[in-house]
Amino acid sequence: MSVKFNRREFFRRSSAAGVVAGAGAIAAKGQAHPPGWAGTQRVEEIATNCEMCFWRCGVLAEVADGKVLKLSGNPAHPLTEGRLCAKGNAGTSLLYDPDRLKYPLMRAGQRGEGKFRRITWNEALDFFTARLKELKSKYGPESVALFPHGVASTWFSTLMRAFGTPNAAEPAFAQCRGPREVGYALTFGQGLGSPEPVDLAESKLIVLIGTHIGENIFTSQVTAFAEALSRGAKLIVVDPRFSTAAAKADWWLPVRPGTDIALLLAWINVLIAEGIYDKDYIARYAQGLPELSSHVKEFTPEWAETITELPADKIRATAHAMGQAKPAVALHPGRHATWYGDDTQRSRAMAILTALLGSWGSKGGIFLPTPLKTGKFSLPPFPESKRGRADGAGTRYPLASEEQGVTNGLVDATVAGKPYPIKAWVVYGQNVLESIPRRENTLRAIEQLDLLVVVDVLPMEQVNYADLVLPEATYLERYDMPQIAESAKTPYIALRQPAIEPLYESKPGWWIAQQMARRLGLDDYFPWSTPEEHLKKLTEPMHVNLGELRAKGAVAFAGRPYIENRLREDGPLFPTESGKIELYSPLLKQLGFDPLPRYVPVADPPLGFFRLIYGRAPVHSFARSQNNAVLDALMSENEAWINTQAARDLQVSEGQEVVLENQDGARSLPIKVRVTSGIRHDCLYMVHGFGHQSRALRLAYHKGASDTNLMTRVQVDPIMGGTGMRVNFVRVLTDLESGQMG
Amino acid sequence: MARYAMVIDLKKCVGCQACTVACNSEWEVPIGHARTHVRATSVAGNFPNLLSTFYVAQCNHCDHPACIALCPTGATYQAEDGIVKVDRGLCIGCGYCVEACPYEARYINPVIKKVDKCDFCSARLERGQEPACVETCTGHAKFFGDLEDSRSDVFKMVYEQGAGRLETSEVAIGPNVYYLGKKEHVNLVLTEFPPHRPRMPEAGTVWEKVVKPLVLAAVGVTFLGQAAAFFRQLMKGESLFEDEGEK
Repeated sequence: MSVKFNRREFFRRSSAAGVVAGAGAIAAKGQAHPPGWAGTQRVEEIATNCEMCFWRCGVLAEVADGKVLKLSGNPAHPLTEGRLCAKGNAGTSLLYDPDRLKYPLMRAGQRGEGKFRRITWNEALDFFTARLKELKSKYGPESVALFPHGVASTWFSTLMRAFGTPNAAEPAFAQCRGPREVGYALTFGQGLGSPEPVDLAESKLIVLIGTHIGENIFTSQVTAFAEALSRGAKLIVVDPRFSTAAAKADWWLPVRPGTDIALLLAWINVLIAEGIYDKDYIARYAQGLPELSSHVKEFTPEWAETITELPADKIRATAHAMGQAKPAVALHPGRHATWYGDDTQRSRAMAILTALLGSWGSKGGIFLPTPLKTGKFSLPPFPESKRGRADGAGTRYPLASEEQGVTNGLVDATVAGKPYPIKAWVVYGQNVLESIPRRENTLRAIEQLDLLVVVDVLPMEQVNYADLVLPEATYLERYDMPQIAESAKTPYIALRQPAIEPLYESKPGWWIAQQMARRLGLDDYFPWSTPEEHLKKLTEPMHVNLGELRAKGAVAFAGRPYIENRLREDGPLFPTESGKIELYSPLLKQLGFDPLPRYVPVADPPLGFFRLIYGRAPVHSFARSQNNAVLDALMSENEAWINTQAARDLQVSEGQEVVLENQDGARSLPIKVRVTSGIRHDCLYMVHGFGHQSRALRLAYHKGASDTNLMTRVQVDPIMGGTGMRVNFVRVLTDLESGQMG
Repeated sequence: MARYAMVIDLKKCVGCQACTVACNSEWEVPIGHARTHVRATSVAGNFPNLLSTFYVAQCNHCDHPACIALCPTGATYQAEDGIVKVDRGLCIGCGYCVEACPYEARYINPVIKKVDKCDFCSARLERGQEPACVETCTGHAKFFGDLEDSRSDVFKMVYEQGAGRLETSEVAIGPNVYYLGKKEHVNLVLTEFPPHRPRMPEAGTVWEKVVKPLVLAAVGVTFLGQAAAFFRQLMKGESLFEDEGEK
């Protein structure tokens, strides 16, 4: 596909906040921290931030004699103000998890066998370097692909780009936020970033579409959500499941899965037909209203009722509630947005609705990021690849982010050896077998590799397939790239700094990447050696007191969250091509996609099958916290939620162990049934992240079932390459013999 | 004198269990036990008109604590500010109080072999901090304060906003953890997690082995409080137990 617009420009404009390229390093210990207490004992208190998930809440680590005694929330943190969730509070159980990867390991058996021998770091890094050089000369540098995730992945991204490969892809895009970022960027000229700039605290009405705040715990977001409800803000929850949030809602809309766009179009229809959208705002800031008006004319609540199975009067009533509360409507853009493959268009519909309510840049709606000036080392230019990316970002998937890449595109390219062979994967901070759907495909890709290097804290299943395993220090033992949170209402810089020295022979990610750079002769891309050096450079234009930053963990700046606060230096309000909110998207039109979102039916479950839906529990993060002893004690396995009537029809009862089989015959580990009226009859829900298959995770092994293993199909979003994952169907097998895993 | 209490706002609680883990970490509660825990109610009603909420449980520091009367050694006592405490030096881990508590707020700590429970983080209060659960609560749903201070959050919630106690006609011993929220939510909690009648224990084997016959005789009479006072006095003179409880 030939694309006649400036992609680079699109993404330069649209990357909202949060990510800064650069470098960090380790500090001498013994900074002047304020004293803390453990019981009656004086201890040192280190301010850092959490990595039990990606929200990076402020943490205080109480340390005595080189041991972290306790973690608690850091009251000085501008975003989380001393609050910390169950996972954050349980961080020491990750630090002291006896199953941690302790030493560099070299594979000693067959791939998948999990047999390794302990080697030294020198051996490990020499081996890694030699293999990379060999692959480079044999297949070119592009044959090496990086699968990064998380803050510290910055170092590996820099390393790999310097090495000469454009192939890096993280699940945060194509398995998570990608469609949302693209959908909002198409409309407003910029995406949302993380933390999400949703002004829950000031909202009069909160709208959640599939977002399950409460089970999905990002501390400050939960706080703002709860405070808003307590203040009297109304709540609309669209979810086929009676979630924690739904139980607090004024309107719970148990939508038929896959029909969200129909609901959104009907809401838009009512707002326009009844003239209750924000007319001044639209007249001033938006283009494309006439096209939108005629597009949605036929999408009445009555039309939507037959599709969504939601009563037309409820659709109308909720639209009226939005019209009344505007612009203080916090329509949450969601986070994990890869559902049905039409996800960019659903995000577009949400963005359009947000615009009609005048909420973007308004108090109680979506606030604006505040740019912070940071210092940067000048790095040599990265080598340009003549062969281009293998994952389809920018070509097959025209609006995929080149910064974040398309994981599934890279997996497919590895399997096919096209457009060129991919022979090595470097995996950092994620478990590719759980984070990317179509596990069998991922395993097929791994079979094609000459080299799989895994940098991880715990022996996740993928470690069994690795040639080289590099044990990383946990977030409590390392420096990471400081967080520059521009998308927070009060923007801030926050440090992640070690509370203690790394245990065993684990090493921080930055150190591993820096060492590799030295061995590969790429020192110029890592022009720093101490944390002071790097931090000083980064913060040069910020005028922060570094001593204060280290002691408090974070320093905040004044935000300019609303349109009326904006300064000229903040750049254009709506950095789209037209400089206006694009209700109608000329860019999508140009690329051959619908310029206005349309509802296209998704396949229904076949008879006897449920649609598999999934989500989070408040005490676990992804598939990475199940081996944490404290969290395991709170929730050691997931359950299959089945509607009461459906369970009766199937003759399954509460607590009964069943096996789930999907449309392609993939089977789950045994999972217990939760019989509940809190879910629609046509879907089955489970919490993501369970059913670990690594025996080395002694606590988590074979507890509960993995939803990812039942995702043998995906519906790829043609606009940006995201994998819609809610297109898998499962039936319930009650005969456990037949359901045994092979 | 203060009268300490807590209020849990069910409108705000999302059942995330941050309180449980923060507390466990603060007080080194062994894995599998808790001083405060969170339970989801079932989903009541008919689709799509449903109802569910969370029950946050802990020691209620009752006006008339059932646990104190049953403690044979006087280890459990109530301070003037209303906080029910356990003197670990006196506790023999007999578990009578565990049985007695209508709110199942106590457990025997298997490491120290003594009873353990919420004491409103007394040690933190002395340092001017809030209880660990209150400080960490992601929904800002937990409030601690003095019911005799009309400016406190808890005073307003209890006396002005109608936060209620989990009491039944059977068990009404004046719990000081209050629940604020929609009536149907509070009722659902009360229906599904009602306080049970204090259970009078059978003769416990644990403390029979430990406690001197003299004390046994004293405890044998119904005036348990007197026996406890007696035991307290006895303890002052001689050390029967190793003090391994305090950090």
